[in-house]
Formats: sequence, C-alpha cells, structure tokens
Amino acid sequence: MARRYDSRTTIFSPEGRLYQVEYAMEAISNAGSCVGILAKDGVVLAAEKRITSKLLDTQAVGVRREKMYRLDDHIACAVAGITADANILVNTCRLQAQRYLFTYQEPMPVDQLVRSLCDTKQGYTQFGGLRPFGVSLLYAGWDKQRGFQLYQSDPSGNYGGWKATAIGANHQAATNVLQGDYKEDITLEEAIKLVIKVLSKTMDSTTLSPDKVELATLSRDEEAGKVLYRVYEPAELKPVLDAVNADMTKEKEKENK
Amino acid sequence: MMRISCPLIDGPATSAAQDACGLRELGVGGAPVDSFPLPAVQDIDSFEREVVEYVKPNHGTTTLGFIFQGGVIIAVDSRASQGSYISSQTVKKVIEINPYLLGTMAGGAADCQFWERNLGRQCRLYELANGKRITVRGASKLLANTMFSYRGMGLSMGTMVAGWDEAGPGLYYVDSDGQRTKGKLFSVGSGSLYAYGVLDEGYRWDLSVEEAVELGLRSIYHATFRDAASGGTVSVYHVTQEGWTKVRGEDVGELHFRFYPDPAKHPCNSVDPLAV
Amino acid sequence: MDFLCGIRGRDFVMVCSDTSAVQSIVTMKQDEDKLVPVDSHRLFAISGEAGDRVNFSEYIIANVRLYALRNGSQLSTKAVANFTRSELATALRKSPYQTNLLMAGYDEGSGPALYWCDYLATLHHMNICGTGYGSYFVLSMWDKLWHPDLSQDEALELMRKAVAEVRARLVVAPPKYLVKVVDKDGIRTVAEL
Repeated sequence: MARRYDSRTTIFSPEGRLYQVEYAMEAISNAGSCVGILAKDGVVLAAEKRITSKLLDTQAVGVRREKMYRLDDHIACAVAGITADANILVNTCRLQAQRYLFTYQEPMPVDQLVRSLCDTKQGYTQFGGLRPFGVSLLYAGWDKQRGFQLYQSDPSGNYGGWKATAIGANHQAATNVLQGDYKEDITLEEAIKLVIKVLSKTMDSTTLSPDKVELATLSRDEEAGKVLYRVYEPAELKPVLDAVNADMTKEKEKENK
Repeated sequence: MMRISCPLIDGPATSAAQDACGLRELGVGGAPVDSFPLPAVQDIDSFEREVVEYVKPNHGTTTLGFIFQGGVIIAVDSRASQGSYISSQTVKKVIEINPYLLGTMAGGAADCQFWERNLGRQCRLYELANGKRITVRGASKLLANTMFSYRGMGLSMGTMVAGWDEAGPGLYYVDSDGQRTKGKLFSVGSGSLYAYGVLDEGYRWDLSVEEAVELGLRSIYHATFRDAASGGTVSVYHVTQEGWTKVRGEDVGELHFRFYPDPAKHPCNSVDPLAV
Repeated sequence: MDFLCGIRGRDFVMVCSDTSAVQSIVTMKQDEDKLVPVDSHRLFAISGEAGDRVNFSEYIIANVRLYALRNGSQLSTKAVANFTRSELATALRKSPYQTNLLMAGYDEGSGPALYWCDYLATLHHMNICGTGYGSYFVLSMWDKLWHPDLSQDEALELMRKAVAEVRARLVVAPPKYLVKVVDKDGIRTVAEL
C-alpha cells in the first residue's frame, strides 16, 4: 500500500502519513549521533564522527569540523543526517542571522533563528517536486531575552527547546541515559562529562578517541559581555575523553565485582 | 544606392526658417538628424512639466466645510479656469459619493473628478461586501491611500470628505500629498484664505442651521469677490443624520447686490475726503 | 514650521513637538498630536511632509506590532530605531519619505534612549536633539544647560525655556506645543505649552 503514496512528499497516505518525511527522519536515525546538554552556565554539543580512516587529512575542510557549525556570534549548531543538505541549511541560517543584524543592529534571538529555519524545512514537505532536507539539528545559543538555550529540529520542520537531547543513531538510547543522569542546575563542566559518557554508551566503539568525537561548548564571558564558542582541538579533547574513559572502566570494574 | 532627398535628414539646415527657435546658437540640436525643432530652453524636462501644469484645467477654487451643532455644512463656488481664462462658470464641485457622503473638489479638475468617482466606486463596493455604509473615517482613508500611492506623480487635488456615520458628523481634509486630517472646519482652494477670514469670524458651535448655511454662503461669496479664480454660483450642502441635502445654489453676482445694494458703500470703494 | 526636540535624562526621555497641521501658509489644525506611540514604552516624534509623516509612521508602527505578535517579545528602542532607519534607507532611492523623526524609548536594563533620524536615513543616539528651524535656538541653549543627571522637573524646565525661546525668536513660531515623557512606567503627557 505504502508504495503508492511514498513517491511524492506532498501527498498524504490514507493513514494520514507523509512517507517521504518519515523516510528522511529514518535516514537521520542511521547517521552519526549528536548530543546536546543545556547547563546553567553554557551549552555543550557533542557529535560522533563516522568517517575515520588513517588516509584522511584530518585538517582538511569538511573533515576537521564535520558536524559543528557556528551560525552567528551567539549561536552554534550540530547536525545529523546528510551533510550536503546540512550545508544548505547552515547557509540559510547564517544568512537569516546576518539579515536580522543588518535590519535591527541587534543579534537575532535564538528562537527566531530556529523558527525561521524550520519554516524553510516545512516548505519542503508541502510543495510539489521537492524533497525534505535529511537533516536534524541541535542549536546552542545565548540571547539577552532568554539566556542559554538548546533547540532541536527535524526534517518535518518540527522544533522544540530541550534541557538535554540527542539526534542521530541510537538517539533513543542516548535520551534514556540523559534522562537518568541529567540534574537541574548542572554546570558546563559536568555537562561535558555527561555528554561524552552518553556518546560512549551509544557509539559502537567502547573507548572514545579524538578522531571519533567532536565537542563544542557555548558559554559567556560575563565581564566582556561576549558569547564564547569553543570547539575542542584533538589535543584539548584527549584529556577530557581519557578522564571519562577512566571513569567508565572504573564503573565497569565495580559492576563486575 | 537609392536616396530620398530630404533636407532635414540629409544635412544641416541652412535656411533661417529651419532654425526658427535659434537652436544652433544655443547649442541645442547637435547632429543633423536631430533637427526636430525644440523649445529654446536650457532644461527641456522641467520646461515641459511646467507647460503641462499651465495647460491643465484647474479649479481656481474656494471650497469650505465645517461641523456645527446641526451637522455639517459644505459650501463651494463653481468656477473653472485655465490660467487667466475662465473655462466654466457652472462646474459641480461637490461630488455626491452616496446619500451620506460628500466630497469637495479643488485643484486639477480631472484628477478630482476621476479620483472622487473612484472613491465613490470603492465606497459602494465596501457597502456590498460588508452590508453597511462606510464611515467618513474609512472613506477618507481610502482616498488618502490612493493619493499616497500616486504621490510625486503630478496629481493635484485638495478635497474634503464630509458625511454622517454611526459616530456622528465627520469631516476630513485629504490632498494629493497624501495628507489626511480630521477637523471641524476647513477651507481649500485659491480663495480659501479669504474664506477662512469670514468663516473664522462668524463660526460658533451653536450656530442655527439657517445661520450656518448663511455663513457658508457668505464665506464663499466674499472669497469669490477677492479671488479672481473663484466665482460662478455658490452651492451649499447640509449633512445631517438623514444624509445630505442641497440647500442653496445662488449666483455670486446676485448675492453681491443682495449683500451690498449700494455699491458705493462697499468697503473696497473708499472715497478720499480730501479729494477735490 | 515643524518643531521637535527631545532630552534624555537620568531615567527618562522627554520630547516636545508643536501641534500645528499646516498646508502651505494656512494652519489647518491646532491640535495635531505628532508624538505617536509605537508601543507601551516607545514613541515617535515625526515632522516633514504631511502625507509621508503619517504613512511612514503607520507603516513602522504596524511592523513593530507585527514583530511583537510573531515573536512574543517587543523590539528594543535600538532595534526599532535601526529598523526605521533601514526602511527609510531602502525607500530613499525608490520613493523617499520626506520625514525627520525623533524616537524616544525606555528599555528594562538599558534605560532611556533617544534617537534622531533625518529623511536621508542618518541615525544618531543623542542626549539632546531637535529638528526644524526652532531647534537651532534650542540646541545651543541645551548644550549649555544639559547634564547627565537631569531630573524630570529640570527637563520640563528646559522644555519651557526652549519653547519660550522659539516663540520669542522664530518668525514662524507655532502657537501650541505638547510635551510627553517616556520612562519605566510608559508614556505620559506632562505639559501643553
């Protein structure tokens, strides 16, 4: 039955479903996962890098940063899904953010940027001849109206604000871990540990290494009144991963005893 | 090769007749192909614009409107002029938009007639769409919006939209700059300054209807007396809850002799007591 | 002759405008309010060609309200001022609006703000400002008298002095003036001079 209704994005099936949109979401469930946590003093984003090969030029564009994008001075995002599609969306976001700045001479509120992108995504589920974007995004941002914020959006154009969330492969498992371990008033430092712990539990490999993980934080220098976006370089990432790896092995030993 | 002999195209005009405007001296014309006779002016564009304004039939006009205890009074003259030429003495300067709405006309005759009829059309459509009469406020805004969208394109009109709606009597001034102001008392046109003089002096809120009609009549009469571009007949309209009625239409010449039966006693005719 | 002026005080902005509606040499109206509210804590003082004045301010105000409805938050004074400027600048090379305007606002956090914008879309944040011939007399006076700690009573006194000076010196001085203030409590009319 489905065959008759899934070739066009703009046609509902008799059960009231839009198969192409659901397939797009399915595509993301197989992509490298991203996890985001909203802490009281910042937001942390982490992503799984799937392309690993010793032949890879790790410094090349598109390899060094696979999933983390800065959208404006005060907003960053992590993407899961088709990277080529993501590039288009990231470009749209950056354009919107700069247009807003140009008109109002003020940074664009995070929720407005998310909504503007989701309006674009929604359009691709309704107009004929188009295919939805196969991308889910996590947005981390700060604005003066609402402080630190974490949003998630999917190919249908749905979006929402979260304290902690995950997209991509095993996102269900990741969400379960987050639900167990997330505390209100978590600090950025704790959030970084938690996010890596979540990744290590959802990724296939048991021990994490810098070439498999991307980590970025968004925090604020209160004195200068500036938003700080920091992507961890492999050298910086290594001690963080090692610490978590060590914790995990300890825990396992405990369990074994 | 075949050639058609045409002195205007073939070469520079040599005879004086072909340079009647003295173009060559002014450096107008250039290449021989352009020897169209052009006006001998420095700036053709602004000259042309000026000339068009000059040929346009204009209402050298006096119109006025005011709200008082008994409703709204609208009074207008009926002269149309083109420069110093009086082109008509019987122009209808009040357009009856519907039984409850009036518009007055001052400025370009064609602009006023066309756009106020257009306003009438819009108001009728509003009635059909909404099943109720448009307010004076709404009608005047429709006209102002139209005017604003054509701003700077050469329209020339100064109008008053007057009428009665659920809010009571209404009077708005709307012009081709897009200005729209609500008010109790307005006068528009070349004779408006004269009309204001009489109107402001005689206006009170509690005027009786007869007094108000008389005030409108006299204000227009005095304006036509001083303003060469205003004249003809005075029309006075009265708007009440029941809609408008035309109450007067009198020739200003006859009014003159009614107001001043003895021309020698008219204030503009002074006699020097020292003259011999 | 349009006259607008504004003062930014310690925790408020005070603006003054004449109330005449003029058509060539005729005063059509003596009670035109040219200080129009944009939202609860922001107002425009607008001068310039009659039609442009009303149309432009109505357009901006409608857009600011639309923003508030769409986004559930109000634009700051700075944002409104820059939005206005950009609209004016976009229109400048198409169908320009002949309007000079002052924009007064009060924001939670950043406090009072006073912006001056001319028809060429030049925008400045100001402590004192004005438009029209009347402002020439007033600006110099206020340059001398203004200080950052100005209270509302002091500012009103400056307004009275300014209006008195305009009345005394300007040939085409308007007869009536309106003074409004914007502070943390919103917009209020404080005097008719």
